[in-house]
Amino acid sequence: LPVVGPGRRSLAVIVSILLALVLSGGGLALFGFSPMLLLGSVLQEQFGSRFGLEDLGLIYAPIVFCSLSMAICMRAGLWNIGAEGQFYVGAAAATGAGLFLHAPPWLMWPLMIVGAIAGGMIWMLIPALSRVYGAVDEIISTLLLNFVAVLFITYLTSGPWRDQKTFVNAASGRIPYDLPALSGALHIGIVVAVALAVLLAIVFYYSRWGYEVLMCGANADAATYAGMPVGRRLLQVMLLSGAIAGLAGMIEIVGTVHRLQTGISSSYGYLGIIAGVLVRGSMLGVLLSAGFAATLLGATSILQAQGLSTGTALALTGTVLFFAAMGQRLAEFRIIRVAVDTENP
Amino acid sequence: MIAILTGILTTAALAGAVLALSALGGMLANRVGVLNLGLDGLMALGGITAIITVSVIPNPYVGFLAALLVGAMFGVIFAFATVVLQASQVLCGLALTIAGSGIAGTVGRSYAGQHAGAVFQGLKVPLLSDIPILGPALFSQNVLIYLAFVILPAGFYVLLYRTRHGMNMRAVGENPAAADAVGIPVRWIRFVYVTLGSAVSATSGAYLTLAFIPSWSEGITAGRGWISVALVIFAGYQPIQIAIGALLFGCVSALSYVGQAQNWAVPSAILSMLPYIVTLAAMMIPKLFLQNMRSWGAAPQALGTAYFRDQR
Repeated sequence: LPVVGPGRRSLAVIVSILLALVLSGGGLALFGFSPMLLLGSVLQEQFGSRFGLEDLGLIYAPIVFCSLSMAICMRAGLWNIGAEGQFYVGAAAATGAGLFLHAPPWLMWPLMIVGAIAGGMIWMLIPALSRVYGAVDEIISTLLLNFVAVLFITYLTSGPWRDQKTFVNAASGRIPYDLPALSGALHIGIVVAVALAVLLAIVFYYSRWGYEVLMCGANADAATYAGMPVGRRLLQVMLLSGAIAGLAGMIEIVGTVHRLQTGISSSYGYLGIIAGVLVRGSMLGVLLSAGFAATLLGATSILQAQGLSTGTALALTGTVLFFAAMGQRLAEFRIIRVAVDTENP
Repeated sequence: MIAILTGILTTAALAGAVLALSALGGMLANRVGVLNLGLDGLMALGGITAIITVSVIPNPYVGFLAALLVGAMFGVIFAFATVVLQASQVLCGLALTIAGSGIAGTVGRSYAGQHAGAVFQGLKVPLLSDIPILGPALFSQNVLIYLAFVILPAGFYVLLYRTRHGMNMRAVGENPAAADAVGIPVRWIRFVYVTLGSAVSATSGAYLTLAFIPSWSEGITAGRGWISVALVIFAGYQPIQIAIGALLFGCVSALSYVGQAQNWAVPSAILSMLPYIVTLAAMMIPKLFLQNMRSWGAAPQALGTAYFRDQR
């Protein structure tokens, strides 16, 4: 396979993102919206005020978590399309711990963290086991479990966990824990996210374990021959990936929403996929691409106020992903002049 | 009891036809070696196209054809990316699903909750429709049900296994380099069948919005496209088995509908999980218990890989 330099790759990705945005702008113009005005108001609202930036930071953290969850799977040649579901189950587990366990306050935080991690892992367990031992495609199995997770949350919040005090429809009771704030509404989740990215980068790029994971994903046969426990490494990476997405769910609960609801993830799991893909699973690159994904998501909530549907976020995301996929491939092409023998064709 | 059974089977036939159409389109692409994960997006696009079309021209068949055309259009884009440019099939498929549902939601905003302008009418087959249970379920439904369960599966079976062209298609899916060596136009065949498959898949959306649910709402596909991706694997990439499997999967989702209607003691959210969980189980069972996958129907060898002549 041709080796393509990072410069050429980044250029390809940036060009494809721009193309995708121009095309989407054209699409919006067809519906009678002025793309330039929309862009102006989006930039104005997100970057023009402290509140806009704080809101951006609030959605940035869970997207970083979900992209990391995708990125580490990509490192092992696997896919995790189920971050959305693991996010919900992690959130549910943390909420459950927060609502029903009555331990001293200093013990509650570890309990909720462990709960969220366990929740995310459990949701990944079946796809991981069946992928490693039964060669069942993990793309479909992780994705199908997203639907089950959302229905599970619907069941919990409209049934046994339903808030008895305020009778808010389909939401659990409020949990009395709150992440420390950085500035205004912005909590420390964003710091945790960045720290986790750095930590994972160190583990995956500089440890023996990280190297073995890369190897097992790149060539399972060679890795087996070199004596690496391929199945175990893949299983570990997938479970870690689930745990990270689960943790994101908890941070969203204790940091931002404080009660379990079905809408708490605004497609974070799916935005995490594109953020992971755009930088080809680079742990630090994710910090950049997650920023782009957060801007995209923030933009759509502003666009909604202008009369566009929630689907517009997905349409934009999908278009960007599509162009990025083509751009990454095109970056690998090279124009070669084939010497043609004109005398003996 | 008979009423319940009839209800389950009637709903199963409707739900199954949606899955069958979607899965048959996916199978066409898979058989020539291209993984199409965009089925769910195509279903959404087909659904909204049909709804919009019948609101202008109140004829369900025109809506069906419009969905077919829009499916072909997006199929061409998908085929261009995956076959001509050879971009990652997984990424392009995911992008097609995400963008397709998003575009359908954006375009269909003003149609949300509206009843379909025209729906497919049932057609009673004389004599056969009087059979208890089976009659109302299978022989008094609209004509398209026969397209989904009989005509297309049988047609694709004949095409794949009884014609030389079908043999070429299978060769392209199993070993494109060998197919290329004997002069089969690999890329051309892939391009055509990926497009055709996308068109067929998109009609499942028209069936969903004009026969099964008769209305439009955002997220109406509810992952049915993904269930049909799994159904193709479960059915071993064989057209006839897909039709049978679709009816089986249809029964499962019918069970959750009927359960809700009959007020069973199980919460409705739990009942709604059934189709996804059963699909997951269906994907795993053959792989875990059947040692000899060949007899069940293994995936085409070259599935998911791009073919590049210079790269061996």
